Amino acid sequence: MNVLKYAAETFLFVPFAAIVINNVFSKKMMEKCFHLLTGAVALSQIFATLFCIYSMDARGMSRFEFFMLEELYENDREFFCLTPVTLIFLLCIGIVAFVSVMVAKKTIDAKKTSYVNLLMTLIIGMNGMVMVNDFFSLYVFLDVVGLSSFVLIAMFRSRKSLEGSIKYIIISELATIFILTGLAFLFMQTGSLDYMDLNSSLLQNSSEPQTMLLSLSLILILSGFFVKAGAVPFHSWLPDAHQSADTSISILLSGIVIKIAGIYGIYVLTDLFSGVKAIQTALAAIGILSIVAGALLALCQSHFKRMIAYSSVSQMGYILLALSTGTTLGVVAAVAHVFSHALFKSTLFVNAAAIHEQAGTLEMDEMGGLEHRMPVTSFSSVIAFLSTAGIPPLTGFWSKLLIILALWTAGNPVLAGVALCASIFTSAYFLRMQKKVFFGKTPEHLASVREVSGSIKIIEIILTAITTLIGILFPLVLIFLQSRGIL
Amino acid sequence: MELFTWETNMLIVGFLMILAGCYCMIRTYHMLKIIIGVEVAMKAVTMFLILAGRINGNMDLSQAFVVTVIVIEVIVAVVFAGVTIGLYKKYGNMDIRNLTQLKG
Amino acid sequence: MNTILSISLACLLVFCILSIMSHSLLKSAIFLALASAMLGVLMYMMGAVWAAVIEVSACSGLVTVIFISAISLSNIKKDDIHKQYEDKKRMRWFPITMIVGGILLIVIALAKDFTLTSALQQTTDHFKEVFWNTRQVDIMGQIVTILIGGIAVFVLFREEQENK
Repeated sequence: MNVLKYAAETFLFVPFAAIVINNVFSKKMMEKCFHLLTGAVALSQIFATLFCIYSMDARGMSRFEFFMLEELYENDREFFCLTPVTLIFLLCIGIVAFVSVMVAKKTIDAKKTSYVNLLMTLIIGMNGMVMVNDFFSLYVFLDVVGLSSFVLIAMFRSRKSLEGSIKYIIISELATIFILTGLAFLFMQTGSLDYMDLNSSLLQNSSEPQTMLLSLSLILILSGFFVKAGAVPFHSWLPDAHQSADTSISILLSGIVIKIAGIYGIYVLTDLFSGVKAIQTALAAIGILSIVAGALLALCQSHFKRMIAYSSVSQMGYILLALSTGTTLGVVAAVAHVFSHALFKSTLFVNAAAIHEQAGTLEMDEMGGLEHRMPVTSFSSVIAFLSTAGIPPLTGFWSKLLIILALWTAGNPVLAGVALCASIFTSAYFLRMQKKVFFGKTPEHLASVREVSGSIKIIEIILTAITTLIGILFPLVLIFLQSRGIL
Repeated sequence: MELFTWETNMLIVGFLMILAGCYCMIRTYHMLKIIIGVEVAMKAVTMFLILAGRINGNMDLSQAFVVTVIVIEVIVAVVFAGVTIGLYKKYGNMDIRNLTQLKG
Repeated sequence: MNTILSISLACLLVFCILSIMSHSLLKSAIFLALASAMLGVLMYMMGAVWAAVIEVSACSGLVTVIFISAISLSNIKKDDIHKQYEDKKRMRWFPITMIVGGILLIVIALAKDFTLTSALQQTTDHFKEVFWNTRQVDIMGQIVTILIGGIAVFVLFREEQENK
């Protein structure tokens, strides 16, 4: 038990330690080896998560509650808790942070120490958010995540990045006000915001919200998290923010931040109020809208990163749709899609970084014929695109299959059909991207473009290998799910 | 004279403040004015939290919430002001209509 | 007690509306500080003593300082805001919106027969124990938030002076 506790504590203490190390030693030295420090933090997170998964599985635990510091007084309740869902989210955070660091080694030239500080606070915020046991603490860490991402976007202070940042701040603050108002009304009704208290109070047994304020609070919290997740009527900040940031930061934002800040919050809400049918209807409606509108908007973009950002909106719709079923299989499907989305979205952003590094532009109309010039980038982007579109042996296929199965078994064959058909849009915009960027004739100004070298190439190969390997090994996961009686 | 209890009055005033803040955020062209709108709405939210503590009798917990919310509010104002000043240095004014770099 | 509560509540609303309606940013900031002070009084009257202290010092003090420094850094001309930014024209419907919203809320509250009453038993003297013992996670979050604030000042404000 002790070893597991120490492993769980590293999730918050290691980034803290990294901040201290980063600021204590001299700036010159830290700028030289900033990627080693951050890479070590990301790797420690990945290995600690794997260890926790292994050790919790060996002991047959489905919940592990712990507290960081020595207990100051006798508390009957622990502050943090690890569950299987939490662990998968933590693994995604580790992987995406590692990818971001590998890309940042190439793309970030100035302000490296600030990048390290902000990345660490972002990781603390995300880890804290998925581990806490209390809705208000979740809000606090949500704001930590939000504030770190505002500063990360605005960090290089070009016109574009400041503009993306200010749009994100304004809309995100609206979301914060909504969430906090909702929490205040929830607190008014229940007297506590602990998950346990919320679960055991009268709310769960009733299928309808009891009072006007309670239903109002649910609407407010849900719409706040929709804004944070970038679902369609609330998505306007997302492409701006993700396009304008440096690519290594876009990887973090698109790969994990919207999922932790938005999807995890919605997951907690659906978990606590599983009896309220209106939440599930809202999730299904917003999900379908996001899938279709996100894909259609992605079709008419000309900027590479903006197109991938709209693709994120569309994929968030799939995750919301999976959560709308309210069954265990739905949650499994949502988490699986979070994982595979983290993989293929970071691959696509790494490709964007490679193209930006080598060709110097990200406008798709100015590109073409990069297939022979950049074979590794081209191949990894094809694999990522096939995974997004849901072509068999890759991870994206299995997670989409789980989503459709979950919708089908929950009695929503129409939604399953729509989700299946919307995959065609996904293929459409990615085929358009492939045709414009990698196929066709090479324009003259790109004749001297070479394959990217160093860390970006390595991370492209690693991500492609993981996507394929997990895709091939995914039937083992299905067998595991069947043995637990979920599938 | 007493139409409602003072708790209900407080709720109505809070909603009006949030309405005012959101209206200001949406309609104004000046960036610093947007922060003022956010702050006004956040004031209403802190008031709601205290009111919630008063209504369920758990004032200690709601005070602890409010202290945290105030700290976060100040930091949000700092970050927002920083970005705004950055934009002012680029454009020479604080007009939100300048922001036309990102489209599509 | 009810009289003071009602007066400070009314003052809070009036100051908030004034801070949004005034065309000079300096006046806006000052009205915001006054609204903050009124909220502090309100909190004190409701028994939230510690929150009132922090509200008055942090919100009323610190936020005003941040605003004034931002205003002076950007040296906006007085009353510039309603000419260049068309503030008067844009905020034309604001009073009407507020009145309509207020009437609507009162009508809803009357129609639904909506009443809130505070609990009879109030626990207000264990703030320190509750805050330091059961909200340690929030304190950790606060520390990280303040850290981000420091980094933000470092990243967003500092380098501009070096360029000069």
